[in-house]
Amino acid sequence: MAGVSMKDIKLRIRSMESTKQITKAMEMVAASKLRRAQDNVTKSRPYFETLYNTVCEIAEGSGSFTSPYLESREVKKSCYIVIAGDRGLAGGYNHNVLKLAEAEMAGKNVTVVPIGKRCVENFRAHGYDVLTDAYFEAGDVSVSDCFTLARDLCGRFLTGEFDEVHIVYTGFVSILVQQPAVMTVLPLHGTGAGQKPASETIYEPDSETLFAAIVPEYLGGLIYGALCESIASEQGARRTAMDSATKNAEEMISDLSLKYNRARQGAITQEITEIVAGSNT
Amino acid sequence: MAAFKLKIVTPDGTMYDGEARSLTVRTVEGDVCILPKHINYLTALGMGEAKVVDVDGNARKAACIGGMLSVSGDRVELVPTTFEWADKIDADRAERARAEAEEKLSHREKLSDHELAIAEAKLKRALVRSGVARRI
Repeated sequence: MAGVSMKDIKLRIRSMESTKQITKAMEMVAASKLRRAQDNVTKSRPYFETLYNTVCEIAEGSGSFTSPYLESREVKKSCYIVIAGDRGLAGGYNHNVLKLAEAEMAGKNVTVVPIGKRCVENFRAHGYDVLTDAYFEAGDVSVSDCFTLARDLCGRFLTGEFDEVHIVYTGFVSILVQQPAVMTVLPLHGTGAGQKPASETIYEPDSETLFAAIVPEYLGGLIYGALCESIASEQGARRTAMDSATKNAEEMISDLSLKYNRARQGAITQEITEIVAGSNT
Repeated sequence: MAAFKLKIVTPDGTMYDGEARSLTVRTVEGDVCILPKHINYLTALGMGEAKVVDVDGNARKAACIGGMLSVSGDRVELVPTTFEWADKIDADRAERARAEAEEKLSHREKLSDHELAIAEAKLKRALVRSGVARRI
């Protein structure tokens, strides 16, 4: 008991307590942000899904016409849009999505569009070819930014600057579960449910003009959807991480309090023994 | 009376999900009206007014900008970028946005092509919205 002084233990308890206060506050902030982000996800998800399914259906039933967006070319260069967070302290959130992105890109000639501070820093530090770092803060990217980016990417896709476009993001499964995922958005492809008999469909004005108008919208919508999911995931991951940090701090504090009380008791016992011994002689 | 299933989804949420008798929207080519038993159809949307007539015959108007319209079987899906019901449009805000965009366009020689395009798009959107709001 005498090994650790009471003062040391007291100091450690105090520092643990301030850490706990910080993690507790961060958890609360994340929880309130999570609620807003979750609302956004539930609101935009039907849009996201309808858009994706409709375009997939069109791509599948597209026997009668061709479009540069539909052709799968030989892949010389790929473009990856990677969405991660702006800040750390969110458990494995940033790490998981970046690891998945790097595994996907391994051995390919890639160019990256990073969204989120952590992501920009990571790809810059590792010497990847970064197309633009205009999307530094994932939290600040608006719907119109997504559409601007989408139009830009579609233009580059058409000129052959790259032959495929993927989005790497984190899917928001629930408050406790977030799943990093990759989605191939260009060239367009069917859902893989087999070729449907190409039913009679009217395309207006004509398929080519139509695709030129729709595909940027589709890409913008998907980027926005992936962004909403990622932001909700980040807050969810942070809330969980901070919750467990707070619990750990509590555990350590109770452990240290026990040690402190033992040391205190030990000191008192020793003092009594000394007094008794002194009076006996 | 015949009806079809209409679903209107936007990034801000689902705006309509149910039966409807007719749907009028402005596409890139001009206004079209979808009635029940329409042939499969796909088009891109322009900027303009949309009108939905529900099964009870009530018509509702909205500002509808960008996106696409798809009809397959008796399912009609409207996937616009912006869709605001006329009674929910903030007419004052639209009016302010219009004034701002016009102000910007009044000295257009100072703007870059990109800025000019943004200001013009803003003006168009504001005009559509204030136009729809006025005609409730």
